[in-house]
Amino acid sequence: MSAVMTDALDGASVNSPVAKYVSRFADHKIGFGKQLRSEWLKMWTLRSTWWMMGATVVLMAGLSLLFAGVMDLVVNEMRGMGGGGAGAADISEMSVGIVIVVLGYQLAQLTVAVFATLTITNEYSSGMIRATLSATPRRLRTLLAKLVVVTLTTIVVTLVGLTLAWAVTYPLMSSNHTLVDFSQWDQVRSLLGTVLYLVMIAWMALGIGTLMRGSAGAISTVMGLILVAPMILGMIVMFAPNIGWVGQIYRFLPSEAGQQIVMQLDGMMGPDSGAMSVEMLSPWVGFAVLAAYAVAALAAGAWSMKRRDA
Amino acid sequence: MIEARNLTKKYGDKLAVDHINFKVNPGMVTGFLGPNGAGKSTTMRMIMGLDRPTDGTVYVNGLPYAKHVSPMTEVGALLEARAIHPGRSAYQHLKVLAATHSLPTSRIDEVIALTGLESVADKRVGGFSLGMGQRLGIASALLGNPSTLILDEPVNGLDPEGVAWVRNLCRYLAGQGRTVFLSSHLMSEMAQTADHLIVIGRGKILADMSVEQFVETGTKRYVRVATPNAAALAQAVTNAGGRAVTPGGTPAGSAVDGAVAHLEVSGLDAPAVGELALTNGVVLHELTPISSTLEEAYMEMTADSLEYQTLAPLGQAPAVDADTAFAYAPATPAASSADVEKEAQA
Repeated sequence: MSAVMTDALDGASVNSPVAKYVSRFADHKIGFGKQLRSEWLKMWTLRSTWWMMGATVVLMAGLSLLFAGVMDLVVNEMRGMGGGGAGAADISEMSVGIVIVVLGYQLAQLTVAVFATLTITNEYSSGMIRATLSATPRRLRTLLAKLVVVTLTTIVVTLVGLTLAWAVTYPLMSSNHTLVDFSQWDQVRSLLGTVLYLVMIAWMALGIGTLMRGSAGAISTVMGLILVAPMILGMIVMFAPNIGWVGQIYRFLPSEAGQQIVMQLDGMMGPDSGAMSVEMLSPWVGFAVLAAYAVAALAAGAWSMKRRDA
Repeated sequence: MIEARNLTKKYGDKLAVDHINFKVNPGMVTGFLGPNGAGKSTTMRMIMGLDRPTDGTVYVNGLPYAKHVSPMTEVGALLEARAIHPGRSAYQHLKVLAATHSLPTSRIDEVIALTGLESVADKRVGGFSLGMGQRLGIASALLGNPSTLILDEPVNGLDPEGVAWVRNLCRYLAGQGRTVFLSSHLMSEMAQTADHLIVIGRGKILADMSVEQFVETGTKRYVRVATPNAAALAQAVTNAGGRAVTPGGTPAGSAVDGAVAHLEVSGLDAPAVGELALTNGVVLHELTPISSTLEEAYMEMTADSLEYQTLAPLGQAPAVDADTAFAYAPATPAASSADVEKEAQA
C-alpha cells in the first residue's frame, strides 16, 4: 500500500495546480428511503433493541396468561359456591376476555417508552449523532426517519404481542366462554387502541428524548409521566376525592387520558375509573389528549434538534 | 476546498471563534494549529454543520455542508470526540453510514482493508482500543471517497507505525487533488505532513502561510560551531561584526584554546563563519545553521494566546502551593485519550 502511495505522490507536485477531485460515488445522493434503511439497520444492529422488543412481546403474552389463569381460578371458585354455570355466565357478559388480552400494554408501555427514548439518546451519549448528522445533515429528516422506524417497529411488536396474548390465553378463555368478541366494536377498538396507545407513548418518548438528549434524564422524565404521576395522583384521588383539581389533572395525564381507548369497554368499566370519583375522558377524546402530548413533545424535540448544536 | 467568511461562534459571552476568514485549498495538506480551547474543534464542527455559527458562513466545495445532495462524497470528517456507538461492530457501523448514500458493500470492505481493521471488523466497537477507534473513525471519514477530508487529531492513540501511516495517507490524498484539513498537537508530525498552516489562538487567526514561511517567523537563528580553537574563532567573529557565545549564553572570549568547545555564532551565516575559520586557520569540527523548529515558531506565536497559562515566569510567580501550580496538565495525546475513553464508557 505504501508503495502505491509513494508512486502517487511522485506523480503529483504539491504546488502545481491540480484537477478538481471528484468522488467516484458523487452520484450517490442521500434520500429519505436510504435514511429509513440506515435507521432500520441502526436499530436492529443493537442488542438492546432485540432485548426490549422481545421483552415487550413476552410481557404482553405473559401478563395475559397470568390473568387468564387467575380468572380461571376465580370462576371455578364461583362455580363451586354459586352452583351451576352462573359464574361462567356472568363473566361472559363482562368483556373479561378482551381486558385480559390487552392488559399487557401496562407493562409494554414501559419497554416501548425506553426503547423509543434510547433510539435518540444513545446517539447523543455515544457521540454517534455526529456521525449520523455528518452523513445526513438535514436534521429534521433524520428525526423523521427515526420516527417512522420507531412507529413501524412499535406497531409490529404490539401486533405480535397481542396475537400471542390472544393465542396463549385461548384455551382458558374458551373454556370460560369469554373469548374476545370481534363483532363488538368496543372490543375491536380496544385492540386497535392498544397499538395506537403504544405508538403515541413511543412518539412522546422519542420527542422527550430528542429534547433532553441524556438517556437517564429522558427515561426518568418519561417514566415519571406515565408511571409515577398516575400512581401518586391516583392515590390522592382515591383517598381524598374532595380535592377536585387533583382529579382534573389526573384525568388529563397522558397515560390516563390515552388508555381510555383501550380500557373503556361496554359492560365493564376501566380498572381505574371504576373505583374513582373522577370521571375519565371518553376513549377518543382521551386519545386525542395523549396524541397532543406526543405531538407537542416531538415538536419541542424537533425544534431543539434543529436549533441546538449537535 | 473550505472557505470561512467572518466565521464566529459565541458561547454565552465568550467568543470561541472570532470573525475568522480562511481558505483551505485542494491539492495540499493544511495543518490547523492552536492551543487547547483556541477554537479548532469548534471551527471544524461548524464546517460540518454540527455547530451553528453565531455569525458568518463556512462553505465546503461552494455550498454550506447541509446543502450538498451527496454529503459523504464531499466531506469526510474525523472529529475529536468519538462518534461511534459502542454496541455495533465496526462493519455494522460502516454499513449504517453507507446505507444513507447507498454506497456499495465493496466500499465498506475497501476502507476496512485500507485502515487495517480486517481482523476486528466483526467485533463490537466498545472493546476497541483508542487506536482501533481512530482507525475506524478514519475509515468512516474515507467511506464516501470524499474530495475534502477534515481530521481532528487523527494520530491520537496511534502507535508510531500508525502515525507514519496517517502521514503517508494525508500526503497521498492531497496528492490526488483532495483538500486535507488536519489538526494535531504533534508539531514534528505536523512539520512532516503539512504544506500549509493555519494557526488559531483565542479564536483569531494568527498565521495563514506555508510551513516554510511559518518556520521563518521563528526568531532563533544562529550557527553552531565546534572547534578546538574557540578563543581565536570568537575573536575573529567579533572582529567581523558577529557575536559568539557558549551554549550557556556567556560570551565566548574566555574560552580556552586546546579543548573542543561549542559556540553559537549569530550575526553571520554559516558560509561566512566557514570562511572566517579558513582565513584565521581555525579547525572546525562542526558547522551547523540552526533556526527555530516549527514547534518553537509555534510556541513564540501562541505564547500570548494560551487559553490556560501554565505557570508565570520564574521570579514573578505568585506564592501558590505546589498542587495548584501544577494542576494543569497540558493536553498530551495520552491525556485526551483518557477523556475519550471516559466518554465512550459513559
